[in-house]
Amino acid sequence: MFPRFQAFPVWERGFVRIQPSIFGQIDEAAYSAPRTVTTFDSTAQNPILPRVAAGEPRAMNLCVTHYGPLIWGIVRRYIKDTAEAEDLVQEVFTEVWKKAASFDPAIASEATYIGLITRRRSIDYLRRQGRQPGFEPLAAAESIPTPTAQPTSITCDPETVRSSVATLPADTRELFHLFFEDGFTHPEIAQKTGLPLGTVKTRLRRGLITLRDHLRRAGHSNIQPAS
Amino acid sequence: MNPSDLKIRFDELCAGRALGDLTPEEEREWVALASETGLNPDSAFELLAASIEVDAIQDHLEPLPAKLAARLHQWADETAKSAPTNIVRAEIPAWKAIVANPFSGWAAAAAILILSLLLTRKETPIPPAQAEIRLRSEAKDLIERSFAGIGDFKDAGGKVIWSDQLQQGYMTLSGIPANDPNKAQYQLWVVDPARDSDAPVDGGVFDIPSDGSPVVVPIAAKLALNKPQAFVITLEQPGGVVKSKQEKVVALAKN
Repeated sequence: MFPRFQAFPVWERGFVRIQPSIFGQIDEAAYSAPRTVTTFDSTAQNPILPRVAAGEPRAMNLCVTHYGPLIWGIVRRYIKDTAEAEDLVQEVFTEVWKKAASFDPAIASEATYIGLITRRRSIDYLRRQGRQPGFEPLAAAESIPTPTAQPTSITCDPETVRSSVATLPADTRELFHLFFEDGFTHPEIAQKTGLPLGTVKTRLRRGLITLRDHLRRAGHSNIQPAS
Repeated sequence: MNPSDLKIRFDELCAGRALGDLTPEEEREWVALASETGLNPDSAFELLAASIEVDAIQDHLEPLPAKLAARLHQWADETAKSAPTNIVRAEIPAWKAIVANPFSGWAAAAAILILSLLLTRKETPIPPAQAEIRLRSEAKDLIERSFAGIGDFKDAGGKVIWSDQLQQGYMTLSGIPANDPNKAQYQLWVVDPARDSDAPVDGGVFDIPSDGSPVVVPIAAKLALNKPQAFVITLEQPGGVVKSKQEKVVALAKN
């Protein structure tokens, strides 16, 4: 996790998340499904996607069980409507199933790969809103680009990224915290920090660029030397 | 801007895309930079954003809603009957016959960039027929082709228009039998010479109503198109397919 910053009260946050109850234990019976404690690092040595790609029975069920809460959590950050979010989760799983063979553990962790697919699908969904009047899109769009089909100049494992984030300037880390962890939008961040909107955008973007450059310098480059 | 400044600006825009914060103007700038300078997008930013976001939220996850979880597991049971690698690409050898002159310009990645134009345009939905008229008045690079019916669908006809610049297009179709969406749906395929000629771009599924009147159908290409060479309508299972067997080809419009 990132170094912690002064947290805003939960009621000010941009999206709903489970918080430790000040009244003690959460009432488990209030939830229709068992609580899930997910440790994505546990799949690093035994990834699920190659088993999905190999057509192993029950592998996709395992994927649903293991990564369902992650996909659901990401989608809900972008899509507030429950029904739409559920449909998008189905689309994400369909794409994960189809692109399972493209997963390359040398480039990123399985959770990051699935997170990338989910974020891309969610952002694309928001972009598409308001378009295609009266036209039904395919639930399983074959032609969404495979995440790692586009060149990436780095490899990134969670621990390395985590430590690289810690090297960013404090003001950038705070913006990363507000954006990635608290789920605030750019305008919300601008309002809370008093920074101009353009500054928020620029600092977040340049933070990502700085991270990439840091990883490259740290030997996590994925650029093949010219022959 | 000198090449170094262009590269810096392109990186900023790629990072913005990974953050989902590009304005339409920036999307256009991004496309222009990619096409004019040959710069390739670096998916490192998407990987980083995904890694950070996953790390940030993994301690706060909620379980899937029970009904959704049940639906997904049922779907997972069904997928176990077929290997995913069988449907990764829409490989259709017969498309080679349609594509005579592969386009040698942009790389596929550059074409993907154009999709951002399509995806970021915020518009109030209007009826397709009105949208078709508006596209005709707005697009300066409009291409128009005529559909010809094939086989049992010899009465099928109509027009298709497409704008590369706006990444929009519409079909005005007539003479195509009405379909029962529960039994079959029509699906458009677009042959884009800039891409693999064996893998036409999915243009979306649609229905034909039973009133017999011409119907205007928007094209919903799943990838950006660049000088599409042919448009082909097939009849497929409900929801469409990712790999057409071309058992029922309805109509063809080509250069």
